[in-house]
Amino acid sequence: MKIKVLLGVAAIIVFTSLVFYNFGNSISTYVDFEGAQGMKGAHVVGTWDDTQEVYFNRETMQFSFWMTDETGNKRKILYPRPKPNNFEQATQIVVIGEYRGDTDVFVANDMLMKCPSKYNDPNAFEMQEASS
Amino acid sequence: MVTAAFASFQRPPLSKPVWTVSTKAFWGLQLASVLGASAVLLVLIANHQFQYYYVWNYTSLDLPMEYLLSAFYGGQEGSFLLWILMSSLLGLGLMAWTRAPYRWPVMSVMGFTQVFLLSMLLGWSFGDGVLLGASPFRTLLEEMPNAPFLQANPDFVPADGRGLNDLLKSPWMMIHPPALFIGFAMMTAPFAFAIASLWTRTYHEWVRPALPWTLSANVFLLTAIFLGGYWAYETLSFGGYWAWDPVENASLVPWLIGTAGIHTMIIQKKSSRAHSASLFFAIFAYVLIIYETFLTRSGVLANASVHSFVDLGLYNQLLAFMIAITALGFGFYFWRYRDLPKPKKESSLLSREVLTFTGSMLLLVLGLVIILGTSSPIIGRLFYDNPTPPDIQFYNDWSGPLALVMGVLTVIGQMVFWQRHSWVSLGTGLLLPTIATTVITAISAIMGQVNDRYSITFFWVGWFTVIGNGWVMGSLLIKKPALIGGTVTHIGFGVLLIGILASSKYSTFMVPPVTESFNARVAAGEAFDEDGFPITTQIESFELQRNQPKVIDQQYMVTYEGYELKDTPRPGTQVYTLTFQPLDGRESFTLSPEVYPMSSTAETDRVDWSVDPDILTGWMSDIYLFVGGSALVERRNEQIAAQATMNEAAMSRTVSGQGSGASSAGAQAASTDSIAVVSLLPNNPVQAGPYQFTFSGYEPAQGDEVPENTQVAIRANIQVTHMPTGRSYEVVPLFAVFIDEGENFTYSPSLRIKEWGLDVQFSSIVPNDESIEITVAGLNEFIEEDWIYLTVEKKPFVSAVWLGTFLLMGGFSISIFRHWARDTQAKRAKETSDSLPQPSVT
Repeated sequence: MKIKVLLGVAAIIVFTSLVFYNFGNSISTYVDFEGAQGMKGAHVVGTWDDTQEVYFNRETMQFSFWMTDETGNKRKILYPRPKPNNFEQATQIVVIGEYRGDTDVFVANDMLMKCPSKYNDPNAFEMQEASS
Repeated sequence: MVTAAFASFQRPPLSKPVWTVSTKAFWGLQLASVLGASAVLLVLIANHQFQYYYVWNYTSLDLPMEYLLSAFYGGQEGSFLLWILMSSLLGLGLMAWTRAPYRWPVMSVMGFTQVFLLSMLLGWSFGDGVLLGASPFRTLLEEMPNAPFLQANPDFVPADGRGLNDLLKSPWMMIHPPALFIGFAMMTAPFAFAIASLWTRTYHEWVRPALPWTLSANVFLLTAIFLGGYWAYETLSFGGYWAWDPVENASLVPWLIGTAGIHTMIIQKKSSRAHSASLFFAIFAYVLIIYETFLTRSGVLANASVHSFVDLGLYNQLLAFMIAITALGFGFYFWRYRDLPKPKKESSLLSREVLTFTGSMLLLVLGLVIILGTSSPIIGRLFYDNPTPPDIQFYNDWSGPLALVMGVLTVIGQMVFWQRHSWVSLGTGLLLPTIATTVITAISAIMGQVNDRYSITFFWVGWFTVIGNGWVMGSLLIKKPALIGGTVTHIGFGVLLIGILASSKYSTFMVPPVTESFNARVAAGEAFDEDGFPITTQIESFELQRNQPKVIDQQYMVTYEGYELKDTPRPGTQVYTLTFQPLDGRESFTLSPEVYPMSSTAETDRVDWSVDPDILTGWMSDIYLFVGGSALVERRNEQIAAQATMNEAAMSRTVSGQGSGASSAGAQAASTDSIAVVSLLPNNPVQAGPYQFTFSGYEPAQGDEVPENTQVAIRANIQVTHMPTGRSYEVVPLFAVFIDEGENFTYSPSLRIKEWGLDVQFSSIVPNDESIEITVAGLNEFIEEDWIYLTVEKKPFVSAVWLGTFLLMGGFSISIFRHWARDTQAKRAKETSDSLPQPSVT
């Protein structure tokens, strides 16, 4: 009985540490463009810089634009899919990816768009009032 | 009337039925007021009473009746009300069917949870911003007392509401929330019975009534999960039915733990073992429902989920609810833990008790792993200050292998469950299913070109689960068909395993041959972009011009036929028509993906576009596609932007019409005919239609491309620019004069610019002024450029995912009827011969 309990406890400890180790590796932290240097799958939060060139390459289906991160760094982003439909409206963009080689171009394998949800915007009513 | 109902609703019915006699009265009163409140909310919504914040925020005049109903639970407050309504009704059922000694403790627990749920809707303010609950009946004035227009006119009633989120305008989203909240409410029953059992120290009997409730809760949760998954598949554009999103996990984890509980309850019922495990799971499943509710509704997950939740400021209240339920449940559990019956002798490893118990432990482990992932914003802080959600890989890496072990165990478990087995007899019994599985796996692996070890193992286990459990079911069908619930469920699990792997890992993007070869180069690491860097992502979508078909996946000729605009149910919806012509001669079919502007965020100067995919469902595979962008969408965006600039400019100065789109460029066209003759002087651009032609000089024509007896042969260098897009092509059409039987003939084949459908012919040279004439055809066809970006995916055996889910539901349902019938039988037996224990039927 004692041995069984010990074995059970040992198994739980081993399993738990394995899960936690794997969990720790599979999560990451949100960084800015400086912090993303040398990282794979870096999550960078920022906004679209609409003063810079926006370009879509119809041959390679690559979309590129400039993004300003939360600390003000600007980088060119390459996104290997057509421009998302709600791109212009996003209040916040999260790009997930890495720098291309040792350049300043950030390749976003994935891109999440945070859109202004009317349900979360306490000022929407006033805005709607003003514009109608 | 409204205020009366409102007031009665705001008083939390003190339904702690310590006085058994008044339980019914209290619960009845409570149910009546909840029903009243729900009816009032429904009436307010149906009559568009926009002075109420909830009505204004989630509905609008143009919503059809069925979506007005959806709007009832479209927001947090309404969904709490729905949950409360469901648990009130459940309380009624529990009161009717629960007997002594459980009735009053069960109803006390129900009352306890109900008070917490009701408190979420109170909307009592204690000054200093301290709020208790958020009432669905608060008015605009109460919601935003500082808004200037309300201060100016407190009686202001908006003419229209903001409408329901467009994504929720789906029949699936009408029935998903009720199913979910019935499931949530029903999961209170096992919790209440567990507490009642610990309370009254009657540890054996509680599973009889608790088991059918747990099974029912599971069927409803599973239905809700299925509806949510199906909705995500056909409404969202991520191309799947499952994304391990926190909201999805929020219903999956309680289901897994509930299922674990069902396993241990069955052991307890049959073998009078695993009491502590049954109690643990019954408590844990409900604790998890509250925990997941806390995670999804408190704003903790705001950054981790694609779903946006309103933060109603209920954080503390939800936390209190969670702590109270956990304390009540596990407090009682550990208080009575030493008192719980323990098995007198160990079961052998090959007993149904041990195997079933192992199954529930695996479900628990899987549940815990998913909770860990979902809790990343909290637990991730152990690793990082600002943690991101885990990679999807984390979930897949753990759930896959765990599911494999479960699959194999279900077969051994079911074998041993219905018949005593030694290791040898088990081995003999498994021989035929194993051979059959291996043969079928080999055949399906060859047919599906599956060649990696993990997938082959996975499919083997999937088939083994189906065949092994099918084997057991076969023998049960002969002996006693009422008992097949468990085997049906386990077969469903096997089918689900096959479907999940096939539809996710073997899903492919269907693209034209050019893209296919490009993707092959990407895979081989031989594709580079214009700056010489390797391209690592394969192209998933392709451009399709109207009426210019492309062959995709070497199987279908797909043609974009054009678009239509429609206004119901979503205004401004663009319906694209795509025809698929199978190359092997099967009948062609049409798919109609949509793109629509989200009205919920619509304002005059901007539009949010959303896509609605279309799916061709098939037994073998689904074809899933959506339009990721189109000329039409870009034109609309340009128009909206131009309008916005013009509105601004009208006040200050007039701007030049640059970039104002195809229509103004078309106005300058030299000819409105489709065919036009344009004369060009060297280096002097001329416009025709939306195009500009520049003749820059001659090029000698060489080789044997000219007819015999040619006198003159020359090519003209012409640049053609499509003005609205600024894209250009160089063409060098040929002009030749030859003699045939003494007469002069000209030879000038036209050149086609495929993308625009434009034909350019060098028709003559004007001798006296150095100019040339060209004839262009197809000028008008492409004044309105019409193209789409299309993403098409082939997903094999999504049907198996649904089939597996239905089998799970069916299996659980069969078990409900069986256990319910046995429970009532047992009660009747108990009433007649009070103490005789019911012999278990095997």
